[in-house]
Amino acid sequence: MASGLQGLPSGYPGLDRHLAGGGWPQHALTEILLEHYGAGELKLLMPALARLSQPDRDHDPESTGWLAWIAPPFQPYPPALVQWGIDLCRVLIVRPREESEILWAAEQALSSGNCAAVLLWPGVLSVAASRRLQLAAEKGGSWAIAFRPLSARSQSSAAALRILLSASREGTELHILKNRGSRPATLRNVLRDYADA
Amino acid sequence: MSSADKPSAVLQAATPTPPEIKHVPSSRKPVRAAIKARLWLCIYLPVLPLEALDRQKRTTARAVFEDEQGIRRVMLANEKAAAAGIRPGLSVNAALSLLPGLQLEMRDLDQEGRALKRLASWAEQFTSFVCIEAPTTLLLEIAGSLRLFEGMVTLRRRIARGCEEKGLTAQLAIAPTPLAARWFAKADREACIDDMAQLNRPLSVLPLHCLDWPDSVTESLGGMGITCVGDCLRLPRAGFARRFGAARLLQLDRALGRAPDPRVSYRSAEQFCALHDLDEELDDRELLLQVCRQLLLKLERFLLTRQMQVQRVQFSFFHLRSAATHRVLCSVQAGRNAEHWFELLDIQLDRMTLPEAVISIRLRGGPGQLSSMATDNLLFDPSIKPREGSIACLVERLNARMGEACVRGVATVAEHRPQYAWRPVSVSDTAPRGTVRPDGGNEQPLPLKLWRPLWLLQEPERLASDDARPLYQGPLTLLDGPERLESGWWDDDGIARDYFVALTVNGVHLWIYQDRNKQAAFWYLHGIFG
Repeated sequence: MASGLQGLPSGYPGLDRHLAGGGWPQHALTEILLEHYGAGELKLLMPALARLSQPDRDHDPESTGWLAWIAPPFQPYPPALVQWGIDLCRVLIVRPREESEILWAAEQALSSGNCAAVLLWPGVLSVAASRRLQLAAEKGGSWAIAFRPLSARSQSSAAALRILLSASREGTELHILKNRGSRPATLRNVLRDYADA
Repeated sequence: MSSADKPSAVLQAATPTPPEIKHVPSSRKPVRAAIKARLWLCIYLPVLPLEALDRQKRTTARAVFEDEQGIRRVMLANEKAAAAGIRPGLSVNAALSLLPGLQLEMRDLDQEGRALKRLASWAEQFTSFVCIEAPTTLLLEIAGSLRLFEGMVTLRRRIARGCEEKGLTAQLAIAPTPLAARWFAKADREACIDDMAQLNRPLSVLPLHCLDWPDSVTESLGGMGITCVGDCLRLPRAGFARRFGAARLLQLDRALGRAPDPRVSYRSAEQFCALHDLDEELDDRELLLQVCRQLLLKLERFLLTRQMQVQRVQFSFFHLRSAATHRVLCSVQAGRNAEHWFELLDIQLDRMTLPEAVISIRLRGGPGQLSSMATDNLLFDPSIKPREGSIACLVERLNARMGEACVRGVATVAEHRPQYAWRPVSVSDTAPRGTVRPDGGNEQPLPLKLWRPLWLLQEPERLASDDARPLYQGPLTLLDGPERLESGWWDDDGIARDYFVALTVNGVHLWIYQDRNKQAAFWYLHGIFG
C-alpha cells in the first residue's frame, strides 16, 4: 500500500533523493535509531511535521492533521515548535502512566484517522508490535515514527524505513538501514544546523 | 405558577354571593382569554401503603396497620385479606384472630414517599409541572401537553398503562382545577372534563367522603341530610363558613375554580444517582457489564426527560468486605447516549481488577448541563452527525484508559521566562481554531536569531563545571550567546540568566544558562535542540 504513495517531502532535498517515493513513507512506520537524544532527531522531522500540521488540508479541519507525541522523554517546547512552523492547535501530547500503554495509545492514535503523524518513544518494540503499528498506520492513513535506542539495530522490524542517527561535532550522519523500495545509504551534512534559517 | 394565571372568577367569588355559578366571566374578558386554561390530571394511588412495601407478595393475605397512640388498627388490606373479613379500622388483634395467617406490616410513610417521588420523576416526561400531594396523590398539569400526546384520552391511557407496569393501582381523573381532579380520582369517577363550565354538575353529585374532610365534619353534615358537594353548595356561604370553617368553603371555591389554587411543582433531583443491588455476589465481567448497561440506560432516560447531558459519570462497585471501587468516566463532549458511556466503561473495566465479588453497583451522573440541540441530530443532516471519528473521540478513549490529564494540547504564552512561555491546554473539539491560544498568546514567533530548543527539561539540571567552564559528557563549546533573560522580578520566581547554545563532544546542541542571581554563577542545562 505504501509503495504506491508519494513520499512526504522531508524538507531536506539531500535526504528525499534517497527515499522511495521522494520523501517520508506515508501510512507506514518509520523507525529512528539514536544513541542519545539531541542527535537531530526532531530537526530531521520538523519540516515534514510542520507541513502536516498546516490547516490547508482537504478534510475536516477539526479532526485531521493532528500530531500526537506519545511518551516524549522531555517536554516538546512550544515556542520552538512555533519557530519550526508547527501549528500548535494540532499538537497532542500523550503521557501514559505505564509503559504498556504507550503502544496501545499509539495504536489508537494511528488508527483513529485523526492523526497525520504519531511520534512515540516506546521502551521496547517487538517485531509483533512493530507490525501492529505498521498496520494501524495503514488503517488510519497516518505516519508512525518510533524512536528507538541503537541496540534495536540488530532486531528485525516491520518498519518501512529505518534510519540511524549518529551525531558528532562535525554534524549528524544519517544511515538509512532499511528502505522499502530503495537502497540503504549513508548521508552526511543533510540536516540544517540549529541556527540555519 | 402564580395566582395571576388563574381565571378571574376569583374576584367574583370574593364577595359573599350565593355559591352558584351561572356564568364563567373569565372567558368573556378578552384580556383573560389569552391566558391558557389549566387542566389537571390526578393520579390517586389507593393501595400505595401496601404496594410501596413489597410488590412481590401479591398472593398472600396482607394488611398494613397504623399505630395511633398505642392502638394498632388495620389501615388497608389486600383483596385476599378483605375476603376474609379484614376491614380498615379493625384492631390488629381482631384481624389476627380472624385470619391467623395474615401478614401484618406497619405502614411506612418513607417508603410511600419514595415510591411517590419515583412516580413523579417518571411523570415528568408528560409535563414539566408535577406536584406531589402526600401521601398518595400526584397532580399533573397537562394543558400544555395535550397536543404532543394526542389529546386527553391518549395521554390518560398512557399514564394508566405506565402505572400498571410499575405495579401501582391508580385511579385517574382529569378536571380544570386540581382539587376537582383529586376528588374525582378519589371517587374513582372516570372524569375527563376540560371545560370549567361543565365542572359544576359532576362535582355536585360527588359524595362528601371523597373530600378528605374529617369524619366529624362529614358526619355532622350527614346528620343534616347533606351528603354530596352539591348539597353544600346550596347552603348559605356565611353560615357554612361559620359552622364548618372558612377553609372548607375555600376548598369548595377552589374546586369550582372560583378561588385561586396555586401549586408548587415537584422538581426531581438534577443529579442522577441509581443503585442496583445484585441478587447474589457477582464477579463475572460480562454480567457486571450487563447491569451497568441497565444503569446507563436509566441515566439516558433521566437525562432525556430533562433535556440534559453530562460530561462525567461515576460507577461505584460495592463489595462485601473490601472498600468500594470507584471509577469515573469522562467524556470530552457532554452526552447522554448510554452506548457511548458503555463503550468507555468497557475500556476501563478491561484494566480494572476488582478486589472481590460485587454486591451492588451505583451510578452517579455528574452535574448535568442543558443539551444544545446542535449536537442532537433530529435532522438527517450528515454535516451534523459525524462526531464519531472526531479528535474528541480519540482523546476520550485515551482518557478513559489512562486517566484524565494524560492527554494535553499545548499553547505558547507571551512571557520571557522560558519555563513560563508555554502551558498545557485541554484538547477541546468544540473550541474553534485559534482560541486554544491563551489571551495575549504569542502569535508572533520569536525572532529567528533566537532559536529555542525543541526539548525543554522540566527542571533545569545543574551542570558540573571545570574552572567556570560547564561540563556535560565532557567540556562544552559555547557556540552562541549570551542571550540575557532578566524577568519576573515582580513575583517570587524572577530570573536573571545568560543563555548560551553549547555543543557537546558528541555533537549534541544544548541550551544552557548561567544563573546571575547567585554568587557562584552555576551552569544549568535547560534544553536540548533535538
